[in-house]
Amino acid sequence: MAIMMPAADQAVLNRRDAIVAALRAIVPGEGVIDSAAEMLPYESDGLMAYRQPPMVVVLPDTTEQVSKVLKYCFEQGIKVVPRGSGTSLSGGALPLADGVLLGLGKFKRIREIDFDNRVVVTEPGVTNLAISQAVAHAGFYYAPDPSSQIACSIGGNVAENSGGVHCLKYGMTTNNVLGCEIVLMSGEILRIGGKAAENSGYDLMGIITGSEGLLGVITEITVRILQKPETARALMVGFAEVEAAGECVARIIGNGIIPGGMEMMDKPAIHAAEAFVHAGYPLDVEALLIIELDGPSVEVDELIKRVEAIAQGCGSTTCQISTSEAERNLFWAGRKAAFPAVGRISPDYLCMDGTIPRGALPKALARIRDLSAKYDLRVANVFHAGDGNLHPLILYDANQPGEIERAEAFGADILRACVEFGGVLTGEHGVGIEKRDLMPEMFSEVDLNQQQRLKCAFDAQGLLNPGKVFPTLHRCAELGRMHVHAGKLAFPDLPRF
Amino acid sequence: MDTLKVRDARDVEEVVRTAIASEQPLEIIGHGTKRQIGHPMATNAVLDLSALNAVSAYEPNELIITVQAGAPLADVQSLIDSKNQHFAFEPMDTSVLLGAAGNGTIGGMIGAGLAGPRRIKAGGARDHLLGAHAVSGFGDSFKTGGRVVKNVTGYDLCKLLAGSWGTLAVMTEVTLKVMPKPESERTLMLSGLDDVTANRAMTAALGSPYDVSGAAHLPGSVFGSATGALKRLGAAGRALTLLRLEGIAASVADRAGSLGNALAAFGAVEMLQDDASSSIWAEVRDVEPFAASGARGLWPVWRIVCPPASGGALGQALARGSQGDVIYDWGGGLIWAAVPPQPDALAGPVRREVEAAGGHATLIRAPEEIRRNVEVFHPQAGGLAALGQRVRHSFDPKIILNRGRMLLMTAT
Repeated sequence: MAIMMPAADQAVLNRRDAIVAALRAIVPGEGVIDSAAEMLPYESDGLMAYRQPPMVVVLPDTTEQVSKVLKYCFEQGIKVVPRGSGTSLSGGALPLADGVLLGLGKFKRIREIDFDNRVVVTEPGVTNLAISQAVAHAGFYYAPDPSSQIACSIGGNVAENSGGVHCLKYGMTTNNVLGCEIVLMSGEILRIGGKAAENSGYDLMGIITGSEGLLGVITEITVRILQKPETARALMVGFAEVEAAGECVARIIGNGIIPGGMEMMDKPAIHAAEAFVHAGYPLDVEALLIIELDGPSVEVDELIKRVEAIAQGCGSTTCQISTSEAERNLFWAGRKAAFPAVGRISPDYLCMDGTIPRGALPKALARIRDLSAKYDLRVANVFHAGDGNLHPLILYDANQPGEIERAEAFGADILRACVEFGGVLTGEHGVGIEKRDLMPEMFSEVDLNQQQRLKCAFDAQGLLNPGKVFPTLHRCAELGRMHVHAGKLAFPDLPRF
Repeated sequence: MDTLKVRDARDVEEVVRTAIASEQPLEIIGHGTKRQIGHPMATNAVLDLSALNAVSAYEPNELIITVQAGAPLADVQSLIDSKNQHFAFEPMDTSVLLGAAGNGTIGGMIGAGLAGPRRIKAGGARDHLLGAHAVSGFGDSFKTGGRVVKNVTGYDLCKLLAGSWGTLAVMTEVTLKVMPKPESERTLMLSGLDDVTANRAMTAALGSPYDVSGAAHLPGSVFGSATGALKRLGAAGRALTLLRLEGIAASVADRAGSLGNALAAFGAVEMLQDDASSSIWAEVRDVEPFAASGARGLWPVWRIVCPPASGGALGQALARGSQGDVIYDWGGGLIWAAVPPQPDALAGPVRREVEAAGGHATLIRAPEEIRRNVEVFHPQAGGLAALGQRVRHSFDPKIILNRGRMLLMTAT
């Protein structure tokens, strides 16, 4: 394991039996799991290269139990790692050897559907898709749609600020959640926000969203739901050059059109996907765009014409326009299956997740090509092109000595390039452990210290999900110290109050 | 009163560090157009950001603009307007309500986080702030976020900065999302509905697939104090319920027809096109009937955010109880309540009603003597208030920045 996790506390491990007994007193029955065999499914999340059995797994089913578990761990100085469905691609739910793994899988109830206020109040273990399904009969849906939406939990979506294909137009999780019930590490239960558009005070919901399970454990969430657009149609456009496809994306946005989704695949990804799902993708193009327009049919028909003209102006070589739902779904089938499709042509792959300014797409692709040659590893590229979110898939074979290290070094170089081109390390998968040690590429020590001070406001002992997000952990007391700034001050005569 | 006009981010660091060393609180201003919002501050030193007014980068094709915090909002808006773009959250021009000169700076817009009618569709200021450079109350320059929309790298401190009224950090430069302006707009207008029925009509419209981007209701009594386009529109003195549709012309026309049919049960629908439509939404956004220069200019004004479907009943109760006037936006989720002058602006009864409806109330306009004694921002429950204070201390442990603006300082 290349990533160092905080050293296990032997004193805690020595008390394991007593800790298990204390947790059983809080969560009776099968809610506490301590046998090695039964803990196996919890030892990794979607970042499967990293595994670590936890000290013990706890599966509470009430907020009160969550509160008591956290309070106990807080008082005993025991680390806690929260987990939803375990689909994180950045290792956000990787257990700690001396930590309690707190699974929210039993929080599976939708508590309230309020069509008048256009919200759903749900427990965190409900899957993303289940929310949309629960309101579909009235024509509503929950907009963020990460590709793992069948399995991923809404609690995990909040922790990671998940995106998806449609976030170009409808926003990420943070733009679609209104409130939550959260349990702090101390066991304190707080309600933040609710059915109103804004909270009172600071926007704590905004900071909790995307905090990767480091600030608190969410036990209830209020999400916004939207009416489904009347229609959706897609264009599938091929280009002989990646640059032309990049230009097409820029011109569509530049013309004031915000598609429901705008995805790009490069040649290796197109070929892998086509071989897997036979979606009818053109095989003689270097880049393929799938552009979906949604809304009233008169609007969609008009925008389809405009986008088609823009694509032609950019030198598209093929252009198909869906005429039925079946055809639209077929266009998407290849893109949605791109990851497993790539999985068929390589024993293993690493999925990266940087974001760049849209205009830097051709430059970034050229860089990835060069790096592919340098590291002698194949790469297939799929992008959320509309918002510059890259998902290069680096192909490797874990059975070949040294390949995983080479693949990780390749991935790190791609993310460095994203920052160099004006972008960021992660667009939707989170930092977790995967990108933790790259954080200094984007943030100075001062920047990271300010973020950790905020963590201290929620969890002063650093017991909740330590080892994630931040490359260097500081004690809160140290972070809170005021620097004495020596030297001459430019405003020595500042008036005294 | 000493004013320290800074030239760059380094100056801001120096001023804050000096202030920390001498335990001197600072009031942070851009143009100072929103100084009347919040409690009077316990300081006589002002950090003036108005010279940090450059547009650092505007990239229309990337849909972003990076500007220094002191840049005038009006200038930036006309710049992006030249590329047919806008801030989709429709930032409010507070000068109408407050009687201040101009609508201030970009930093003030973000710090106040006051979004207009389109918030129901496009989100608020917090949803459009992509990145920021700021100086904390530790005297350190830090950055957060980035220059791209899709970003989950580290905590999203931008969300905290938006709407924090300058109490966490001094923003020096921000990157904002800009969006293409809609090609056309129409407003559907229902008249004569009582507040609760109007609330139901707005709920029906917002629950439809027709992509409503504005939903406001003005009871008949408010037109008497209006002076602009709303005055002409409401000359008959009947309540008006306004529903806005935006987008490409063919789509707007199509949806207008469908929405009109869907609302048939609420009465006859009138239609306003393009300029006639946009001028009234600017006045709704700025709460023009309660303008400082108008007949309600001396009345305290509450800004109430609540679950939208309960807005009608809440507003009606507030108007009756206070003998005041209310205006609804966000489909009922935002209520502007003007109350006749009282020493406490009726804080007790207003907040009791609002809390019972699941909302919160900010005393957005009131004379200074009231703001010395009444909580301007909605008081929070114990645990939440304590967490908010810990968050504040994590940015500004000595409470140097805008001390006393958000929390009423009890006599010490």
